[in-house]
Amino acid sequence: MEIDKPEEAPKANGAAEPAAAAPPAATVEDKLKSVVALVEKSVKAKDTRLLIGRLLRQTASVRKQLTASSVKCFLQQTLPAELESRAFLSSHIEQAASAGMDAEEATTSAQCEVSAVIPEVELFAYLIVLIFLCDSKQYQLARGVADHALSRLAKFNRRTLDVIAARIYFYYGLSYEQGGDLASIRSSLLALHRTAVLRHDAIGQETLMNLLLRNYLHYNLYDQAEKFRSKAQKADQFRSGQQYCRYLYYLGRIRTIQLEYTEAKDCLQQALRRAPSIAHGFRISVSKWLILVRLLLGEIPDRQEFAQPGMSAALMAYFELTQSVKAGNTLTFKQVTDRFSSVFLADRTHNLITRLHQNVIRIGLRRINLAYSRVSLAEIAAKLHLASAEDAEYIVAKAIRDGGIDAVIDHEGGFMASRERVDVYSTAEPQAAFHARVAFCLDLHNEAIKAMRFEPDAHRRKAESSEARQERLAAEQELAKALEEDDGDDF
Amino acid sequence: MPAVSSAAGLLALLDEPSDDLKQHALSHLNKVVHDYWFQISGSIGSVEALYEDDDFAHRELAALVASKVFYHLGELDDALNYALGAGSLFDVEEQSEYVTTLIARCLDQYFEKRVRQAEGKRAEEGEAAIDPRLTAIVERMLDKCVSAGQYEQAIGVALEGRRLDKLEEVILRAAAGEERTRVLKYALRVCQQLIISREFRQQVLRLVIRLYETVQSPDWVDICQCLMFLDDAPEVARILNRLLQAGEEEELLAYQIGFDLVENELQSFLADVAARLETTTQQQQQPAAAVAAAADAPVAAAPAVEGAMDTDAPAAAPAAATAAAAEGDGAAAAAAAAGPLAAKLSKLRDILSGKTPIALHLDFLYRHNHADLQVLKNIKGSVDARVSVCHSATIAANALMHAGTTVDTFLRTNLEWLAKATNWAKFSATASLGVIHRGHLAQGRALMAPYLPRGGAAAAAGAGGGSPYSEGGALYALGLIYANHGQDIRPFLLESLRGTSNEVTQHGACLGLGLAALGTDDEEALEDIKNVLYSDSAVAGEAAGISLGLLCCGSGGERVAAEALAYAHDTQHEKIIRGVALGLALMQYGREEAAEALIEQMTRDADPIIRYGGMYVIGMAYRGTDNNAAVQKLLSFAVSDVSDDVRRAAVLCLGFVLMNVPQQCPRIVALLAESFNPHVRYGAAMAVGLACAGTGLKEAVALLEPMLTDPTDYVRQGALIAMALVLVQQPESRVAHFRKRLDKFITEKHEEVMCKMGAIIASGILDSGGRNTTIGLRSRSGYFRRTSVIGLAVFTQYWYWYPLLYFMSLAFQPSALIALNSDLKMPRAAFTCGCKPSIFAYPPPLAAEIKETKSKVPTAVLSTTAKAAERQRKKAAEKEKAAGGASAAPAAAAAAPAAEAAGGAEAAAKPAAEGDKMETDDAAAAAAAAAAGGAKKPAAEAEPVSFTLENPARVVPGQARFVVLPTTGRWLPVKRESPLGILVMRDTQPGEPQELVSAQGDAAAAPAAAAAAGAAAAAAAAPVAAPPAAGGDMDDEPPPPAPFAYQG
Repeated sequence: MEIDKPEEAPKANGAAEPAAAAPPAATVEDKLKSVVALVEKSVKAKDTRLLIGRLLRQTASVRKQLTASSVKCFLQQTLPAELESRAFLSSHIEQAASAGMDAEEATTSAQCEVSAVIPEVELFAYLIVLIFLCDSKQYQLARGVADHALSRLAKFNRRTLDVIAARIYFYYGLSYEQGGDLASIRSSLLALHRTAVLRHDAIGQETLMNLLLRNYLHYNLYDQAEKFRSKAQKADQFRSGQQYCRYLYYLGRIRTIQLEYTEAKDCLQQALRRAPSIAHGFRISVSKWLILVRLLLGEIPDRQEFAQPGMSAALMAYFELTQSVKAGNTLTFKQVTDRFSSVFLADRTHNLITRLHQNVIRIGLRRINLAYSRVSLAEIAAKLHLASAEDAEYIVAKAIRDGGIDAVIDHEGGFMASRERVDVYSTAEPQAAFHARVAFCLDLHNEAIKAMRFEPDAHRRKAESSEARQERLAAEQELAKALEEDDGDDF
Repeated sequence: MPAVSSAAGLLALLDEPSDDLKQHALSHLNKVVHDYWFQISGSIGSVEALYEDDDFAHRELAALVASKVFYHLGELDDALNYALGAGSLFDVEEQSEYVTTLIARCLDQYFEKRVRQAEGKRAEEGEAAIDPRLTAIVERMLDKCVSAGQYEQAIGVALEGRRLDKLEEVILRAAAGEERTRVLKYALRVCQQLIISREFRQQVLRLVIRLYETVQSPDWVDICQCLMFLDDAPEVARILNRLLQAGEEEELLAYQIGFDLVENELQSFLADVAARLETTTQQQQQPAAAVAAAADAPVAAAPAVEGAMDTDAPAAAPAAATAAAAEGDGAAAAAAAAGPLAAKLSKLRDILSGKTPIALHLDFLYRHNHADLQVLKNIKGSVDARVSVCHSATIAANALMHAGTTVDTFLRTNLEWLAKATNWAKFSATASLGVIHRGHLAQGRALMAPYLPRGGAAAAAGAGGGSPYSEGGALYALGLIYANHGQDIRPFLLESLRGTSNEVTQHGACLGLGLAALGTDDEEALEDIKNVLYSDSAVAGEAAGISLGLLCCGSGGERVAAEALAYAHDTQHEKIIRGVALGLALMQYGREEAAEALIEQMTRDADPIIRYGGMYVIGMAYRGTDNNAAVQKLLSFAVSDVSDDVRRAAVLCLGFVLMNVPQQCPRIVALLAESFNPHVRYGAAMAVGLACAGTGLKEAVALLEPMLTDPTDYVRQGALIAMALVLVQQPESRVAHFRKRLDKFITEKHEEVMCKMGAIIASGILDSGGRNTTIGLRSRSGYFRRTSVIGLAVFTQYWYWYPLLYFMSLAFQPSALIALNSDLKMPRAAFTCGCKPSIFAYPPPLAAEIKETKSKVPTAVLSTTAKAAERQRKKAAEKEKAAGGASAAPAAAAAAPAAEAAGGAEAAAKPAAEGDKMETDDAAAAAAAAAAGGAKKPAAEAEPVSFTLENPARVVPGQARFVVLPTTGRWLPVKRESPLGILVMRDTQPGEPQELVSAQGDAAAAPAAAAAAGAAAAAAAAPVAAPPAAGGDMDDEPPPPAPFAYQG
């Protein structure tokens, strides 16, 4: 079920290899060390922005190379020996290793020299262990670690911790989901969400909201999900694009179930557009929903949308489904649904497919409408495999009223007569379509501009020549060394 | 936990008619509300309706549920309202996030309402009463805090809620003894630093002090500081008196308190205390004497006290003395009994009158003077003496560098150059002497005698007399010498003011009088100055306006203020308007809200000069309060006023308001510093300079650095001066770069005059007081020094009137650590400083090489000789040498006149000064030697990590935390807070002989005064006389500054 996690996408695609692809362990540790240095630096500068972007990117880059021994080594090097978290985490790693994941010898490595670490680093260690355990599918162990991490987290109230905490929440949710026990953490997620709101922890807030939505949707509690979504306090803008993407996906699903297809289409389309191209799993599941929503709206997706690299296999069933809908052939539609029912059940899109049946009939009707200027209702019933001419009459009447087809029914004669088609290009239709495209582009442009960030005083920096700066920094460092002792005790 | 997966069923029950069902639903909803609040929020209406329903038995439960739902919805105010409605069901003790959040909200609301109530009371009789339930919760929290021993929190709550009754209760509930002392100390600190409203702060202070005095061993130093803050002289006098009588330890403490009080420089308050010391003595002795059944004793004791005092303190309050002396003359026994006490009293009175501390500082500054004459010489050599701005600036820089050191060698050696100052420049030059001799209370008048209008009739007439400019300058100089301690000189200044009708002399006299009688509200002086003001002469009127402000500074000057403002509207002279406007600002010093009316009036005036004054009123009234409203007002004027002057002043005054939070100032003015308007940029630079003066703050330097290359000349000037203010007495490693920049500014040929002037003044400030003073905005106890702030405010007026530059000297504070014994003499004592000596050492003296390179410049210019040399080098080696000699000859000839004039006298004086330096202060010399050694041999041995400071020592502000006060050894300080300023030490081996540091300042002054009477006119002889005097005996006695005068 990792499909909607961008970072794990390769695995969902079957492309990920086991962690023992044997890269030299030293580089992993070095990379982790540099991440830790980054954490320390950004905590010192109180710069959470740095954490959001670079920290997660760098962590993702080492992720595939993690092995039990390297993680253990990392723990030993960064966490001080007397910290209880270290013993706890090490034991979990050992359990994971003994579970037969990889039988590497744990190398003894340099001990950690520092006697205390900042909480950010400690929890980062938790995060690394969690990632490792989840990647090696030790969800039961991961659950224990996540619980422990949460209890540690509750002890701190630091904004610099938010980003790491948010990731930990995510793995907390994941480990329980894999254990099939998602309902049990709902109330603790709610409590965490409340805390995050009170502390203005924006990133935690959005992560937890998504986890909760996912939680509700997992149990098909669409009504509760929508109520929670609309009532919970939200920031105007999401901090993390990833979380926003996910939120749009869940919102799209909710809207689909609520029959608000246009809005649902918007959301899902946005989600698809914003998702990173590497996140295949996520894109696949969004695509499935998007295809269905578009079909429900009466649109037919282009063929090339199914042919995107890496997706064609996963979207096979939907491709065939679309074809049957396009043909307006109820018979093939039925065949397809029957053939792929297991797939649709697994994707939990089965009920939407049922809704599609009406659309198939309507599309068929439209084809008939286009093909014949006059056709008897009995003939329609036969073509659409309807039970009787009366049924066909009802359906045709409804389609006319909804504006699906432009025709009249002659009740006496028992036939449907199509009206002359007007030239679309003589109406305002093309203009409206063009406007919609322009508006979309402008929107995109505005959002891109809003997303840009400039450093607060970048313009001032260039005033100082580089060697003057170096000289000054050297002098300042020397002085700072001399003055280092308790600088801040006078208030 | 949730057995149900939805609250829909429970919600449906709410619409049932039966109360039981509703109650059942509510109680279950209450349990699951944290999980299903979003569902319940859909039907919150029915829950609310239940609460509104008076017949429903479980209204409170409904309120609780509603409260929780609103809490989750983020509507904290509604949540709090319902929580209050829930009554006892809302459990304050519960440790949940819900409860803590709501309680925090509750406290916020309560504080807000209380503050509005307290302020509304003054305006329009308050507003709606506070919900008693709210009050109940706050009080419950208070109780909880107190019973948990969290007194600090409780005090905070009580103060925020403006509950004096609760504050008292909290403090009294703290266990007596150590605990209560701690609590009181905390309360004292908090109320001084964090309470914004002045009125409430004073109420709290009074309460805290009243409680504090009941403690067993209160911190008298703190208490007296607070009392001074409240202007409660009788109480301070009573405490001092009690301490003096209590025992030796307490006696020393009394002295220490005296020194600390003097630091704050509130002249009238100190005089009041000194006067009351005596009367309280009498009162205290009365009962004692009555027991002894000697009817005359009290009266008799008084003259005895007086008698003892007359010998030491001629400045004693005379009124009481004459009255007492008339009474009787007997009772020798009583006098003997009162003897020691009288001696103590007189010592204390000397301290309070400023006599002792000023003498000590003078001695310190003289002893440690490290002003580098080479710097001045370079400046003098590189600026054109014909540009009078730079010429005056150089004189001013000299004055600032030597402020308070009494060393006027530079002027002596350059009399001819000095004589180029004419007219107002002469006025300034004469005034600069006042800065140099600042604090020379004993001999001040004698020193200035040659220039004074009618002082020492025989001597003065010949030399400086006659020119009103030097007369006026001398009167101004007297004011600077006696600034804030002017009882002695006041009559003379008054007399001079009355005796002249020349506006230049009046100008000087007004400034002088204002300085000498700073903040005394002296009626007589006020009248005279007002007369000058009304004479409607522009020059004199300006000084009179400022002088009014100086006289009434901090008191508001109710009567004078209105009159002066009215006159400012009448007069046509812009100078007078400006003088008065500034004067009004000085009067409002530190009056915060009390100045609001005047601020309103002045900032709305149509005349930009009055508005300009209005900005200064805001700055002065809210100095160092960091008051939000004031900052906002200034910022809005800074960007919206039509007059550049007003905008500049508005930004500049931000510096005054933000003085107590220097780290914030650069941030606040950062945008203004990039304004398109150069006046605003200048203001921003100065604001940073003022607020961060002496801190060396990195942000401040980073802000000012780019402004040094600003396209506008006066912005560069402002940035230079501000930078000097920020960097004064910072470790040399940080300043060296700036020194180089200054040098470049000064020597650069094409630099604008304004910048040169700024650079010259900046180098004066950087080396102020012989490199031994800093800009002391606060006394060591953390209060703002009025004199300093006022001095800086008037200093900023140099923009319009250069002579006001010298007000800068008021802000200089010796960075001294002086230890005293019970006789108020300096014993030989040492302190350890735990850092490398080189970090805080004096900057190395400028090498004379620089001068050589200068004299080489002409050789380079002579291109023909250079070419000749080139040619000849090719021919033969011998000839080359000859050519070199030939080319050097004209250069030497060109340099000769200048070098001889300056260097001749200097050469003799220099070794003397050098030798003096080495002998007098071992510690500094050691440090200097270490630094010099480092310079010579870069790879010398490692520096020691600590070194010893000899009493009296130079301790720059940044160094203070490295200096360790001795905890063992013979001399122990009575107060341990900070190793700065004057510390009274307790002798742990009282029997043994004490080794004292020989006093130098006094010795230096004596011969000078003696000589002054006679040889004042010998102007030409002076430079000749100086070198032998300087070179003569350099073992212990410093060279007595022989008097001199210059002719203009």
